[in-house]
Amino acid sequence: MSSGAGREAVFPTRQSLGLMKSKLKGAETGHSLLKRKSEALTKRFREITRRIDEAKRKMGRVMQIAAFSLAEVTYAVGGSNITYQIQESVKSARFRLRTKQENVSGVFLPQFESFSTNDAKDDFGLTGLGKGGQQVQRCRETYRRAVETLVELASLQTAFVTLDEVIKVVNRRVNAIEHVIIPRTENTIKYINSELDEMDREEFYRLKKVSNKKQRDQAATDKELQRQRKKTDGGADDEPPDVLGTQEDDDVIF
Amino acid sequence: MEGMFYNVNGGFVEGIVRGYRNTLLTAQNYSNLTQCETIDDVKLQLGPAYGDTLAALPPNPSTSSLASKTTEKLVADFRYLQAQATGSLAKFMEYLTYGYMIDNVALLITGTLHERDTRELLERCHPLGWFETLPVLCVATNIEELYNSVLIETPLAPYFKGSLSHQDLDELNIEIVRNTLYKNYLEDFYHFVNNHPDMRGTPTAEVMSGVLEFEADRRAINITINSFGTELSKSERQKLYPQFGKLYPEGSLMLSRADDIESVGLAVSGVGDYKSFFDQMNQSGGVGAGNMAGGSANEGKSLEDLFYQKEMELSKLVFTHQFTHAVIYAWVKLREQEIRNITWIAECIAQNQKDRIGNYITVF
Amino acid sequence: MAAPPSAYKDRQFLAVIGDEDSVTGLLLAGVGHVTEPPDSQRNFLIVDQKTEASQIEQAFTRFTRERKDIGILLINQHVAEKIRYKVDSFTEAFPAILEIPSKDHPYDPEKDSVLRRVRRLFGE
Repeated sequence: MSSGAGREAVFPTRQSLGLMKSKLKGAETGHSLLKRKSEALTKRFREITRRIDEAKRKMGRVMQIAAFSLAEVTYAVGGSNITYQIQESVKSARFRLRTKQENVSGVFLPQFESFSTNDAKDDFGLTGLGKGGQQVQRCRETYRRAVETLVELASLQTAFVTLDEVIKVVNRRVNAIEHVIIPRTENTIKYINSELDEMDREEFYRLKKVSNKKQRDQAATDKELQRQRKKTDGGADDEPPDVLGTQEDDDVIF
Repeated sequence: MEGMFYNVNGGFVEGIVRGYRNTLLTAQNYSNLTQCETIDDVKLQLGPAYGDTLAALPPNPSTSSLASKTTEKLVADFRYLQAQATGSLAKFMEYLTYGYMIDNVALLITGTLHERDTRELLERCHPLGWFETLPVLCVATNIEELYNSVLIETPLAPYFKGSLSHQDLDELNIEIVRNTLYKNYLEDFYHFVNNHPDMRGTPTAEVMSGVLEFEADRRAINITINSFGTELSKSERQKLYPQFGKLYPEGSLMLSRADDIESVGLAVSGVGDYKSFFDQMNQSGGVGAGNMAGGSANEGKSLEDLFYQKEMELSKLVFTHQFTHAVIYAWVKLREQEIRNITWIAECIAQNQKDRIGNYITVF
Repeated sequence: MAAPPSAYKDRQFLAVIGDEDSVTGLLLAGVGHVTEPPDSQRNFLIVDQKTEASQIEQAFTRFTRERKDIGILLINQHVAEKIRYKVDSFTEAFPAILEIPSKDHPYDPEKDSVLRRVRRLFGE
C-alpha cells in the first residue's frame, strides 16, 4: 500500500462503506470530467500558442511597415521636431480597449477589443499642416492598423497566460483525484470490507460456540429427565428404556 | 548692368556656392547609394562629398545620426558663407534662417505650454534656426513671459506682432501658430527681395519672387488639403494663405472655399504647373488625400513628392542666373533635399524596404 | 482560476515604453493619454541612450502594478532586454505585456518571454 494513499479515519461500518462507495463513484466521474476538460483546454491552448507564434511573426512585419511609414513622414516633413510635437500634443487616447469574455469549457478568457472613441479630440488633425500632413495622416492609419494587430496579439497572449494557469489548476486536480483521492477511497473501502468480514467471521464463530454449548446443556437436561422418569415408574414398565443402551436419543430441537 | 557691381560684395560668396553646388550628389552617386547593403556602405559612398563630417560616426550608425551629421555639414558650410557675406547678402541669409527659427520657436512654445524643461529642447532645435538669444527664451516659465521675450529678443517679433497675442499662443493649435508665422515670414521675405534697394529690379528679386511664389502656393495648397476633416474652419484657413503667389488672389479665394480634393484641383487649374500635378495625381488613382491609401507601397508619386520635385527643378534653374543672392537659397534647398534623400535611402536599407528606395528626388 | 471581471473591466488604455520612433508612431495611432491634472501622468515613456534602467523599471512597475487602467503594455524588445528579469518575473494576465520590434532592432522570437514560455511548455 503506497504511503500517499492511506485511508480515511472512519469507523468501519456499513453506513460509511456506502458513503465511501458513493464517494469513489463521484471521484471517478469527476476525474473523467476533469480529464476531458483538461484535454479540451489543452487543445485550445495549443491552438492559441500556434496562433501566438504566427501573430508574433506577423507583428514583426506589420511593425516594420509602420516604422517605414514613419520614415516617410520624417522624409516629407524634413526634420525631427515633429516627433516632439507629437509627444506634446497628446491629450486623450482615441484608441481604447474594451474587454469581453469568451467561454472555453467553463473558463472565461478575457479578450481585448479596440475601438476609437469620438469623444476625445483629435490631437493630431493639424499635425504637418504646412507640409507632410498627408504622410502624417497615412502614417496614422498604418500605425492604427498595426496597433490593432498588436491588440489581437495581446488578446491571444492574455488567453495564453490565463489558460496556462487554468490548465495547471485542472491538471493538478486531475492528478490529485487520480493519485490521491481515488486510491485513498479505495483503501478505505478495502479496509472497511476487511473489517466487516472480520466481524462476520467473529460473529459466526461466536454463534457456533453458543450453539455447541446449548446442545451440551440440552443433552444433560434430557438425561436427567429420563433418569428421573425411570425412578418414578419403579421398573413397572415392561420394557424400561435402556438409557445406556444403543438406542439413540431424539435430537434436541430448539 | 546690374551685374557690374555685384561681384564687389557678393562675388566671392556666389563663387563658393557654385562650387558647393558642384559637390551635390548626382544621379550617378544616388544609384551607387541605392546599391548599398549596409549603412556603412552608404557612409563610404558619401565619403567624397562629406569627408570628415561622417568620420566620427560609429560603425553602422542609425539613420537619424546620419541625418544629423549631414545636416551639420550643411550648417557648417552655411555658417562659413554667412561669415563672408556683407550688406544685403548678409541680410538675405538671415532671412533664410528665419524659417528655421519659426520651427524652433514653435518647439519652445510647445514645450512651455506643457511646462517641460525647455532647456532640453535646445538640442532639438534646428541649428540653422539657432540665434544667440534663443536660450533666453528658455528662461520663460509661462506663455506670457515667453511671448514677451520672443517680442524683445528674437528677429521674429514682426511676425508675431499684429497677428498673434499671447492668448493665441495658449489657445490656438501650435500648427496654426506656426503657419501664421510662416505666412508672415514669407510675405516679409517677398517684400524684402522686391523692395530692398540693393535687390529691387535685379535678377535676385526676379528669381526669388518666383521661388517664393511657388513656396507660398505650395503652402496654401498643402494647408487646404491637410485641413480637410479637421476643426480648422474655412475662414481660419484663409488667414493662413500667404497673400502673394501665382494663386493669389483668385486661386486663394477658391482654395478657401474648397471642400474636397477636386475643388482644390479646380482652384489651381489656372496655373499650368499645378494643374498638371493634379492631373498626374488623378491618373494614379487620386492618392492625394492620403488617408485611404494607408501603407500600401508603390503608389504613384504623392502631391508632396511632385512639389518637392518642382522645388528642386526651380532651384536648379536658379543656378542659370548670375549675380544673384538666390543661388544661396537654391543651394540650401538642394542640400536639404539631398539630406532627405540620403536619410531616405539609409532608412530603406536599414529597414529592408529596397523596393521603394528609388523614391528619392534628384535633378542632377 | 480566471481573473475576476473587476480585474480588467476598467482597463481601457495601452501603455508604451520604447524608443522615440516607436512611441511617436504609436502615439500617432492615438494610444497616447495624459490623465487629468494635477498629476497628469502620461502612459508612455521614451527611452534613449540617456535613460537609465532604473527609470525604465519604474515606468514598468507603474504601468503594470500601480495603474489599473492599462490593459496592454507595449515595450520595445531591446528595452525589455534591459529589464529582462523584471519582464520575465511578471506572469500575470493583466496587463498583457507585448514585446514589439523597433526600427533598428528587428524582432527576435528567441528573446520574447512569452514565446520562451511557449517553447518551454512544449519542451523545445
